[in-house]
Amino acid sequence: MSFPATASAVLAVGDAVPFRSPALDWHALAPEAVLVATAVVVLLVDLFTAERNKWLASTLSGLGLLGALVPVITLAVDGNTRSLFGGAYVVDDFALVMKALFLVAGYVTILLSTDYIGEGDYWEGEYYLLVVSSVLGMTLMASARDLITIFVALELLSIPAYLLAGWRKRELTGNEAGMKYYLMGVFASAVMLYGMSLVYGGTGTTVLAGIGRQVAGSFGATPVAALGIVFVLVGFGFKVSAVPFHNWAPDTYEGAPTPITAFLSVASKAAGFVAILQLIFVAFYGRDEVYGPMMWVLAALTMTVGNLIALRQTNVVRLFAYSSVAQAGFILAPLAVAGDSPAVADDAIRAVVSYLLIYTAMNLGAFAVILAVSRKTRSGELDSWGGLFEYAPGLTVLMTAFLFALAGIPPLGGWFAKFQVFKAVLGAGGASAYILAVVVAVNSVIALYYYANLARLMWFQSVPDGDRSPVRVPAAINLALALCVAFTVATGFFPGLVGHFGDAATDLVAVALRR
Amino acid sequence: MSAVTRFLAVSDFLRSYLTVGIFAGVAIALVAGILGLGSLIRPTRPQASKYVNYESGVDPVGVGWSQAEIRYYIFALLFVLFDVEAVFIFPWATRLEAYGTFGAVEMGIFIGILALGLLYAWRKGVLRWL
Repeated sequence: MSFPATASAVLAVGDAVPFRSPALDWHALAPEAVLVATAVVVLLVDLFTAERNKWLASTLSGLGLLGALVPVITLAVDGNTRSLFGGAYVVDDFALVMKALFLVAGYVTILLSTDYIGEGDYWEGEYYLLVVSSVLGMTLMASARDLITIFVALELLSIPAYLLAGWRKRELTGNEAGMKYYLMGVFASAVMLYGMSLVYGGTGTTVLAGIGRQVAGSFGATPVAALGIVFVLVGFGFKVSAVPFHNWAPDTYEGAPTPITAFLSVASKAAGFVAILQLIFVAFYGRDEVYGPMMWVLAALTMTVGNLIALRQTNVVRLFAYSSVAQAGFILAPLAVAGDSPAVADDAIRAVVSYLLIYTAMNLGAFAVILAVSRKTRSGELDSWGGLFEYAPGLTVLMTAFLFALAGIPPLGGWFAKFQVFKAVLGAGGASAYILAVVVAVNSVIALYYYANLARLMWFQSVPDGDRSPVRVPAAINLALALCVAFTVATGFFPGLVGHFGDAATDLVAVALRR
Repeated sequence: MSAVTRFLAVSDFLRSYLTVGIFAGVAIALVAGILGLGSLIRPTRPQASKYVNYESGVDPVGVGWSQAEIRYYIFALLFVLFDVEAVFIFPWATRLEAYGTFGAVEMGIFIGILALGLLYAWRKGVLRWL
């Protein structure tokens, strides 16, 4: 029974439709079930433990995220595509790759938070509960193939993030961070819901596959379809902080606790991209002349504006805020040409997924170093990074690796990500694709300037205050650094590692073209 | 793609965005038109008493920036908790028999998770008025 038929049957007054309980595939839902259980346990532990035992919340939520990774792996080994609730919830390889990304990014965030939150005047139990809830929303998003499920997943991942962004509630910048993020977030949700209502009004279904069939058919040619597609994608443009919807990002990133900045710039952004990928490849693929140019403009603007403003930053967190805006532009670029042909669509999805995986590792790594260094310097200004090599050579080498990876210099992971973007864009051919490739290339050079500038400060400047005492790095941050640097370096030397995940994720586009 | 189809695709794209542009134009014109029409035809007779804050018809006491008790907001939040519960329980209750054991278990999980919110509020001492 298809979804619209069910809906109309329920609406028919007085009809006693026999209710059949949906067949629940518990294996497919296991990662989310583990996360819900973790959230409940963390809440209860926080409520019934003494102040000195609050560290349990951090440990338990970390274990819970790793525990949720187990069913993801067993599902990947099993390999079947599972479709639940009439196609509204699909567990395929694309979903599994992204779920693994969110769980690992969440785990690294918790590693980064442990000492920061434990030492500050913060609410530990609630903090970890909210991080786990947000990761739960992201794992839901990876499987959501239905407008309503996408919306529920988006709110589930965003609302905890609004609270976390404003966590330093006694500081004005913290309030500003939370308030700006919240207001822009709900504004984006409103625009997106309006677009969804237009799409639903035109197609009569909320399931993406059903929308995809109608968008490819006669509904796709109507003006309403264009309006709906634009509004829905604009909503997610806010989430991934694409220019001109990026203006919340720098203030929010600066005012939020640094581990949450890392989380927002990586996991929350990736969740926005997951939604965009699903919408474009499953629902809107038939109207590439609507989303294609839009993605082209967004990508070119995001890269250029993000990089140019990043050049002028004097605060390291703001620098990384604008850098992450610019990186989003690189990730958007392949989507501009995705509708060209099925082969290009495959390349585009490969490029986006590999970029997200590598970007997650290198950006989280860079934030781990920022956290470790700011524990000593207590400052976010770029000047305080001068002469880091003299007292923290290990951290300097790691930061340099992450910076050059972000700039896309071989043999570190970032080059493969950029290479995949070029491959997808140039594979499409045509004047607009070549211009976009030139924009990407120019921006890679601009980005190298400010990344290399930070490296120059660390290696060649002298220590500003002459304090050469070593930086004490907590064990949790060391573990996070080890995970990030291992992935960043390994993907540079063995790009097949991440390429394999990219290939697996192309089963999303296969769904779109099978009709 | 040949040059011709590419050109057609581009003009198609322009047509799509023309829709978005017209839509935005109509939206702005509608608001500006209604407000503008109102300001044109309404009489303007300014009096000082018209600019006083509205307080149910009586003369206002104090200034507009008075502080309200924070506890009201917490109770409002708790109200939302039960309100959401009711929104989902009512439709479920009307077809209680049809949903059978499955429905009972699902609703049990739902109420259980919402009850955690109440438990949280209770343990944090929010339910005490003073």
